[in-house]
Amino acid sequence: MAVNSPLLKELKRGYSLVFEKQWPPLVGGLLIGLLAIMIEAWSRPWGIVAGIRNWADWLFYGVGLYAQKPDNPFLFSPSVMDLGLILGSLAAALLAKEFALQRPPKLEAVKGLVGGLFMGVGSSLALGCNVGAFFSPLVNLSANAFLMMIGLICGAYLGLRYILWEVENLPSPSPALAATSPKQTPAVNWKMAHPYLGALVLVGLVLAAHLYGKFSYAEAGGLLLFGAAFGVVIQRCRFCFVRAFRDPFMTGESEIGKAVAISIIIAVIGIAILKATGLRRETMYVIPAFGWGSLVGGVIFGIGMVVAGGCGSGTLWRVAEGNMKLWIALFAFATSNSLMTEWLRAWGIRPKLGSAVFLPYYLGWEGAVFLVIGIALIWLVVLAWNEQTNKFTVEP
Amino acid sequence: MDDLKPDEVLDCRGLSCPMPILKIKKALANLSAGQVLEVLGTDPGTRNDLPAWAKRTGNEYLGEKEGSGFIHFFVRKA
Repeated sequence: MAVNSPLLKELKRGYSLVFEKQWPPLVGGLLIGLLAIMIEAWSRPWGIVAGIRNWADWLFYGVGLYAQKPDNPFLFSPSVMDLGLILGSLAAALLAKEFALQRPPKLEAVKGLVGGLFMGVGSSLALGCNVGAFFSPLVNLSANAFLMMIGLICGAYLGLRYILWEVENLPSPSPALAATSPKQTPAVNWKMAHPYLGALVLVGLVLAAHLYGKFSYAEAGGLLLFGAAFGVVIQRCRFCFVRAFRDPFMTGESEIGKAVAISIIIAVIGIAILKATGLRRETMYVIPAFGWGSLVGGVIFGIGMVVAGGCGSGTLWRVAEGNMKLWIALFAFATSNSLMTEWLRAWGIRPKLGSAVFLPYYLGWEGAVFLVIGIALIWLVVLAWNEQTNKFTVEP
Repeated sequence: MDDLKPDEVLDCRGLSCPMPILKIKKALANLSAGQVLEVLGTDPGTRNDLPAWAKRTGNEYLGEKEGSGFIHFFVRKA
């Protein structure tokens, strides 16, 4: 075959389009919506926090703070999804040559820590993050998601006010990375090997899923692959709920916000079908946080995600990309969520966070689905209008 | 792009979204029209965010250049 045959050229173009260039956010919105339906049809809705809490539980169990042995992280479904998400994002970042260890300046490291603590506390009150207490319950017709949305919007606004204040009033961090910048080019350019490593990670994931199946854990194996698929999609689109909630106030830009709205419209239809036909339990992911838990937790989580620069899902894919600020955030997020959840349980507060409200019991299936779609459409229109008028944009 | 003479250099290495954009916005505010800002960055997201932001705000995104371990971005104030 000639070196510059049209076929080879097309293949190269296709490869670059899929593995190197950023995917348009709307493609991400469509895919996330579809994946949310498929993962629920396969096993359960998409979630993040219970998985990373499981890892922190192991840490505290290991040092003797917790008496009860936590679930096996390689079989516990939220943990398996999170592992898949991190590995999928890692593979995508390596393939795109976007993986690089990034050391944050001191102030950013502190923001990672504080933002992570806020996210941990907020998500323990709301019983989930932007995924497990907003996106997934919303498309599962659980009323708590509306309060969480209000909380997240308020929190994102407050977090942004802090960041704008910081940019105006705190001195710019000195180029702390000067130490890494005059680095000589190493004899071997490892970056050239990254795409091969990325492909290796993908092959490893498929192999692992196959092994899960061989030992009759096919459900967990599937969740690993679905987690990885979410990871690939959100890394390739830089799909970020923080941006969806923050950017309308910051720059007015709303491409990601619109993509989130689209994903909600798709997922809610598919999941309502799964539930209404009895393929899935009606009350699946109807979260008992319709009350102050979602509202207060949402505000705290919203502040945290903006300060940390990553939400539940956004933290994980940035961790996989080598962003060490988010490594700190993830550690603080997981540990504080684990401790706070234990305390809420011990103090008997957990049952008082709110109630489980399944919208179709009050509005009927049609009413519930149209309400969710309506809210997503209103959000979409408000974002588009704000993009033109900058009515909500904060000018520092 | 190699013969571009920046009027100001902004170091955003180690910063991730949204800090580079906010710092660029502030740095540009202190320049006069036509002047060029060079930004050093490590966040891959800036590759998409900066051109999009420049387009929205009417500033001119001039392009990027690979450095050793970081990226040089160039933007001209409108």
